[in-house]
Amino acid sequence: MAKPHSVDLSGLFTEATRVRDNSPLKSLTKYMEADSQLVSLGAGLPHPSTFPFAQIGARVAPAGASVANTAPADMLNVYVTTLPGAVEGLGKFLQYGNGRGVPSYAAFTHEHTQRVHDPKYSDWDTVVSLGNTDAFVKALMLFCSSGDTLLVDEWTYPAIIGTVVPMNVQLAPIRMDGEGMVPEALDDVCTSWTGERKLRMVYTIPTAQNPTGATMSIERKRAIYAVAQKHNLVIIEDDPYYYLQFEPYVAPSGTERYTNLPGIKNLVPSLLSLDTDGRVIRLDSFSKVLAPGLRCGWVTAPKYITDKIQFHNETSIQQPAGVSQAIVASLMNDQWGHAGWERHLVQIQREYAMRRDVFVDLCLKHLNGLVEFTVPDAGMFLWFRVLLRPELQSQTGVMQRVFDSMVANHVLLVPGYMFSPKGAEQKVRDEPYIRAAFSFAATTDFEVAITRLAQALAPFC
Amino acid sequence: MSLNTSTALASKLPQAKDLSHLLVPTFRIHQKSPFKAVMGTPTHDMINMAGGVPHPSTFPLEQVQATVRAPSHAALGRAGTLSLERTQASGSTESLNELLQYNDGRGMASYCRFLRKFTEQTHAPPYADWDVVASCGNTDSIAKAVSLFCQQGDHIIVEQYSFPGALSNLVFAKVKPVPVAMDSEGVDPVALDSLCSSWTGATPLRAIYMIPTGQNPTGATMSLARRKALYAVAQKHDLVIIEDDPYYFLQLGPMPDTQETAATDMSKLPLVPSLLSLDTDGRVIRLDSFSKILAPNLRCGWITAPAYIQDRMQILNESTILQPSGLTQGVISRLLNDTWGIEGWNEHLNSLRAAYSARRNLFVTLAHKHLAGLATFTVPTAGMFLWMRVDLGDAAADATAMPRLLDAMKKGGVMMAPDMPFRVTNAAAAAAPERFLRAAFALAETDMFEPALERLARAIASIRGSELQDTQSGTCAEPIDTMAPAPIAVNSST
Repeated sequence: MAKPHSVDLSGLFTEATRVRDNSPLKSLTKYMEADSQLVSLGAGLPHPSTFPFAQIGARVAPAGASVANTAPADMLNVYVTTLPGAVEGLGKFLQYGNGRGVPSYAAFTHEHTQRVHDPKYSDWDTVVSLGNTDAFVKALMLFCSSGDTLLVDEWTYPAIIGTVVPMNVQLAPIRMDGEGMVPEALDDVCTSWTGERKLRMVYTIPTAQNPTGATMSIERKRAIYAVAQKHNLVIIEDDPYYYLQFEPYVAPSGTERYTNLPGIKNLVPSLLSLDTDGRVIRLDSFSKVLAPGLRCGWVTAPKYITDKIQFHNETSIQQPAGVSQAIVASLMNDQWGHAGWERHLVQIQREYAMRRDVFVDLCLKHLNGLVEFTVPDAGMFLWFRVLLRPELQSQTGVMQRVFDSMVANHVLLVPGYMFSPKGAEQKVRDEPYIRAAFSFAATTDFEVAITRLAQALAPFC
Repeated sequence: MSLNTSTALASKLPQAKDLSHLLVPTFRIHQKSPFKAVMGTPTHDMINMAGGVPHPSTFPLEQVQATVRAPSHAALGRAGTLSLERTQASGSTESLNELLQYNDGRGMASYCRFLRKFTEQTHAPPYADWDVVASCGNTDSIAKAVSLFCQQGDHIIVEQYSFPGALSNLVFAKVKPVPVAMDSEGVDPVALDSLCSSWTGATPLRAIYMIPTGQNPTGATMSLARRKALYAVAQKHDLVIIEDDPYYFLQLGPMPDTQETAATDMSKLPLVPSLLSLDTDGRVIRLDSFSKILAPNLRCGWITAPAYIQDRMQILNESTILQPSGLTQGVISRLLNDTWGIEGWNEHLNSLRAAYSARRNLFVTLAHKHLAGLATFTVPTAGMFLWMRVDLGDAAADATAMPRLLDAMKKGGVMMAPDMPFRVTNAAAAAAPERFLRAAFALAETDMFEPALERLARAIASIRGSELQDTQSGTCAEPIDTMAPAPIAVNSST
């Protein structure tokens, strides 16, 4: 059965987006490629003989293994030279290109997206990004400009807040529950909206939400999608923790845990995979599943939208760093392949599941009566509600004292107000939330950290 | 490691003037990201449950390495393989685990350390509190620098021909470009002074964006005297100068005349000093890039500016790219700090200057030979561009002449960039436009220079209405311009 074409949402584009088009100079390159007899002195590109690199490569663990558990003799070598092989040569990875990135890197991300999400409309496409913060800015600016309002989770990723302020874009926070954004709340806000400018976009982190750790079920995603259709909203699906989904938490009991991880086949389907209209702009990143310092990711959306992001890339960051693309592309094409990549993702999933379990085991042991929390089904965050004594609940400045107490006890968590669009307001500063991340500290430090946290909180609870 | 080579000298340097009155309102308040302030809290014994960052044990890379050649023929022993090791620092460069991790928006320490040293050596900024921040190339830096000083509806001064990436950014930011006249040396300071003095626009002029060396597209390079005069005008009118200088280190030797051979020892040829080197006030935001001096798709560069400006740049980075690829910064640091060293780096730059000079020399010699009477140009002393004023003769007044020329060029098998994407339009320019082509002489193989220029000559001649006959093949360009005088009868068979 043929897939439908996306719904045309270009009527919601900002003025700047309408104007974004091919760079006139970059569009000259298509003439060059079409005619090998043509001598082009059009583009200001340096000659690749001036690039001093003959070879760039890496030693990597086999797919699904970690470096720590791999003998040196079993390490794999990936490299790119000046000659093309399974991937392009360095003359391509290190030269100016366009906002679509180097073809082998871009192709891998496109194929992976098809394998995992199988988008349900015909004209879906992918385009490179430098990671999800960069991608968010590009997606936002397609549809929002000065004076617009973006719908967001009531607690959200702080960089969003930092981005919209200079743009004069307001944030409208939507109530959340243990599964994330509440569809009825989204519907209410949209239905009762009286702002001058129409609401056009909603931004959400549906898996292991930052900061609350909430993960939307498939039913919740369907309900959110239906509200977005009703109000003709574009959805920014920011999903860097997507693969870090776990089996439900069970207390340690002697039977082995981690036997029922979802892998790739049993992940909660994405909003992209439900998207029959082409109204989801999905942001994927290698940051949590390969490494943040590569600064590599990609965006999935209808092609008329990915074209605009390409043009925006070309007047800003151009494309991800060629060295990063070279290592990722050669790793995926020469060694791991899609099957290997998926094995790697399962191994990462297992690592985070173990961390979640150790951390939650210890929270249940030490933090009784001090905090309440929903056990996260995915990711790296745990969102504590501090159970303040009744007389402290109406005082101002208590959470500042809680934070100071944590610092004095040598344990660092993040105060909740930092994740609120209304974080400057005193009553938000007094909301009794703190975010713990269990991704970074050594698991052997978890018990020390949690007992310090208990000591820090005890005077207030 | 001290930032400046001479701490005694450094202590005599003034602090940058406080130009925060020129910042847009959002950035006037000196802010650090509160989130980053929390993350900056960790002390030695602190257990960090705050950062939502992955543990490096999850990074599957054990080592990254690159094979590089020596910076020049003269530099033996500095070729070879550089590597980044997982948990150990390598030389002065951080471990792979650190390079692959989230870092702040200022750039990796080893990368910035080299660039501070290099900036001090090259420019010796004449104020004390300058600093460098990593960027992912000048196009992104331009957008960020402009956004600090200009908001929607503001105006910014630009060269009358400029870099299209910058002009596009201004369109999207709704900042209006105000063109200032150029001559063969670039911006005319007298024109700039007059423009500022007579300005009656709705918002004040706070900044000028310019490319002072090997200008894109005109190839113009400002002399030291011109730079001093421009700086004085900027001081007079309290302007920030965004100095976009990706071709600075591609300053070329003199054209060889019949008595001399081309100078190839670039180490004897000093660079024209930058605007940063004159910047006693701290009003220059200098944008440097590795694109033309190492490789474009490294996507690495750096910004030099007063520290209080760099605090804002850090915030801009942290809400967009976060930082340029830490891995790439590590490769560059390992190359420049530990493999080539600053001496090898300077040798590499000199070898680039020699290579570009050779190309410029050949191209200009052939252009003089083939384009007499058809185009005129000033010989560039930096960069990779030759900006040719095309003499269209009787067809000059015809608005279709330029598109027809481009079409004739394409059919004839040569391409150059036309003037339109570079032009900042204004009424005067639109009324009697000179027509230009920009030729880039960096990429094409040098044995194609002569065919390219021959093809260009034929194309121009065909638009002018006079045709060049190619006596070797017996063919010539077909007349396209029916408004031109009747073409001379030609022999169209071989």
